[in-house]
Amino acid sequence: MSDAIPTIAEAARLIAAKELSPVELTRACLTRVHALDGELHAFVHLTEERALAEAREAERAIMAGRPSGPLHGIPIGLKDIVDTKGIPTTCGSKFLQDNIPDTDATCAEKLAAAGTVLMGKLTTHEFADGGPSFDLPAPPARNPWNTEHFTAGSSSGTGAGVAAGLILGGIGTDTGGSIRGPAALCGIAGIKPTYGLVSRAGVAPADYSLDHIGPMAWTAEDCALMLQALAGPDPRDPASAARPIPNCTALLGSGIKGLKIGVIHHFHEIDHKVSDGTQRGIDAALVTFRDLGAELREVQLSPLQDWAACGSLISMTERAAAYEEWSRTRLGDFSERLGSRLMLGAFISGVDYVQAVRRRRELRAELQQAMRELDVVLTATQPSEAAKIDAVPKWDLFDRPNFTMPFNVAGYPAISICAGFGAGGLPVAIQLVGKLFQEPTLFRIADAFEKATPFRSQRPALVSARTAA
Amino acid sequence: MPSDIDDVALEYLLARAGLSLTEAQKAELKTVYAGIAAMAERVRKPRGRMAEPAHAYGFAEEDLA
Repeated sequence: MSDAIPTIAEAARLIAAKELSPVELTRACLTRVHALDGELHAFVHLTEERALAEAREAERAIMAGRPSGPLHGIPIGLKDIVDTKGIPTTCGSKFLQDNIPDTDATCAEKLAAAGTVLMGKLTTHEFADGGPSFDLPAPPARNPWNTEHFTAGSSSGTGAGVAAGLILGGIGTDTGGSIRGPAALCGIAGIKPTYGLVSRAGVAPADYSLDHIGPMAWTAEDCALMLQALAGPDPRDPASAARPIPNCTALLGSGIKGLKIGVIHHFHEIDHKVSDGTQRGIDAALVTFRDLGAELREVQLSPLQDWAACGSLISMTERAAAYEEWSRTRLGDFSERLGSRLMLGAFISGVDYVQAVRRRRELRAELQQAMRELDVVLTATQPSEAAKIDAVPKWDLFDRPNFTMPFNVAGYPAISICAGFGAGGLPVAIQLVGKLFQEPTLFRIADAFEKATPFRSQRPALVSARTAA
Repeated sequence: MPSDIDDVALEYLLARAGLSLTEAQKAELKTVYAGIAAMAERVRKPRGRMAEPAHAYGFAEEDLA
């Protein structure tokens, strides 16, 4: 096979045509893991033997005429807050260093049933919050575009691993942006689906009512292929939506002429002004969408600070409740950053929490109303290119409201895709938000953008530098 | 919610939460209290007593329009 890292869709076509062996594909990923992961720290637990065994089994099944779909034989990874039967699941924490679950999370089960090859468990911020931390058992993941820089989090290993081709796709979780943030800073695609579309069963909670599980991959099309396997009702998750599974790939390639894109300019131009590089990426993306035939409209919502306040109060309270027992008895065993965030729960009264949840209903209604005549809305994903990993502020939630939390508050699906490169050659991104359960439209627009722009042809220089023959 | 917090109030809240903090942790918490207070103010709107929280929404057909 060539040295180029295939997308999931490309690999699936080659595997189906028997031009690529899952074993060969898995070995290529493992070669990159061995060459790069000493620096990237994307994996906390590599399951090399299992991966090769699964790849061989996939190859046998496909050669015997029993392919199970486009994910069959595709190497993937799971964020280390996803339970995996018989495989350590540490949540990046000292508390769970010896934890080996006896069941799989639903999302792990579904990806296995789709025939994926599990490469291992991926680095996360501790219990999906608070990083980067340097006082945990495993080091934080590094950004493949420049290893002195942050990946964002908390699905940091998934972002780094996909960007560097250690895996072709992976699972992230997103409570206030933990899929979309790393997708943005690592230059890949990542979708937070509609709340309830993908089961949270078997995944460590961050904040119950804000937590989402979703795929991260090099392209939106790959995310669509993965979400197709992940979506669906699950009696193990009380928030699971009893709705039909959308056909995630149905609208790919059908163009975007006539679709209506609302732009929330005030989020990224006034409420939290983004970097010049990010703004240039957004501006150029809008030109691309217009050239592709979409209609652009301005959208006005409540200030980003209102969404952030609502989401943060809910988040801090639910997290403090989830980890109260350990906070009371072993606070010092959390990373310094997560421990500090857990303390904040002491400041929030029950009335504050309920007022935030009442505000949540209003904000969600506001977004619903704003989107009535639109197909999607657009804003930034991250305020800037990736910061240096040792210069990430600890308390930026108070003065730098994030662009992703509004759609956790509302439960609406949102995807981040690469929109070019800014300062230092680091990726910048845009965020597209769809209507409830309208993920196919999000994929349609994101895929059209990726195919109309050159950004999917460039991988981090580190990859070719370290893996050249 | 006042925008700053004195030591007595801090000790009360920490005791209620069951947290035992070092003096350095307490000092740091006091520096971010204003940020929490501002957020708590932001979510309060003149909405009257009938406005429901969003604890459960069912994605009825009208939600999907």
